Amino acid sequence: MKPENIKVYRDLMGENEKWAAETRALLQKHKLIMINLIGAPGCGKTTLLESIVGMLKDIRVAVLEGDVETTRDAERISKLQIPVSQLITGGACHLEAKLVHYALKDLPLEDLDLVVVENVGNLVCPAEFDVGEHAKIAVLSVTEGEDKPLKYPLLFRECKAAVLTKIDLLPYVPFNIDACCENIRQVNAGIPIFKVSSMSGAGLSEWCAWVSKFQG
Amino acid sequence: MHELSMCQSLVDAVLQEMGRVQPPPKKLVAARMAVGALHQVVPENMTFAYEILTKDTAAAGSRLDIRWIPVTAKCRACGWTGSVEIPFFLCGSCNSGDLELLTGKELFLENLEVEQ
Repeated sequence: MKPENIKVYRDLMGENEKWAAETRALLQKHKLIMINLIGAPGCGKTTLLESIVGMLKDIRVAVLEGDVETTRDAERISKLQIPVSQLITGGACHLEAKLVHYALKDLPLEDLDLVVVENVGNLVCPAEFDVGEHAKIAVLSVTEGEDKPLKYPLLFRECKAAVLTKIDLLPYVPFNIDACCENIRQVNAGIPIFKVSSMSGAGLSEWCAWVSKFQG
Repeated sequence: MHELSMCQSLVDAVLQEMGRVQPPPKKLVAARMAVGALHQVVPENMTFAYEILTKDTAAAGSRLDIRWIPVTAKCRACGWTGSVEIPFFLCGSCNSGDLELLTGKELFLENLEVEQ
């Protein structure tokens, strides 16, 4: 018998979107902003967080730390005396909306202004998943190469700002920062690009000012 | 391997949609998903995940077809509409980066080929 075609239309991100929508509603109810830091392992996401928490003086921050294993990053952040939860994916390469939603619900939402999600170190998979955040932020260190925005266009397409970290190392690495900014512009023109060093403090005040003013 | 997460949603959808077909089909020959080219889906990873996740289900042994949807956009500066050469996201006419995405982020199940 001849096979029969049956037309269907089923969105495959539906389940994730449902949880992301719940998170957005929860954030709105508590007038909270949530940003999602995405970058490669070792690009300096946690160090960037450590260096800006103290600078965001009038903003009450909490952190959701995503990692494949260990609570090391959450331990680092908890030393800053702010609420933090470690989300261990146990092998998964990205955070999904449901896990983030449950972790968010456990935070003292009444006493917060900003929630920062630090995604699993990975430039590919986290860019695919909406976790209900107001903005994805691409984090790229100058030791990684200026062509990364072209190699990982989805992340740089989805993000609302990019942070170039470790600029104190520029004299020692063959990284063309202007070419990198141009590559970002070609993928996502118009997003702000922050050039920072968590070690020297360069550029951090501009980045903090953007985060402080960001309204989703 | 985000394909595994995506594929789990796909297989859930396939099985649910199969359950709705009247009369109940003898077997599923193929499922077709539409994927916007902005998604970083590796077809081999997706079909491998599909094979594993459909094992011992009503969809076991079926084929997964993928239809790619190109990235298209409209330029807010000059009004140009057309396909975009990813990774670059620039107007094909005036080179502006101020584009509105029209297609390229889809991810859905669109067809089941069944044997009655």
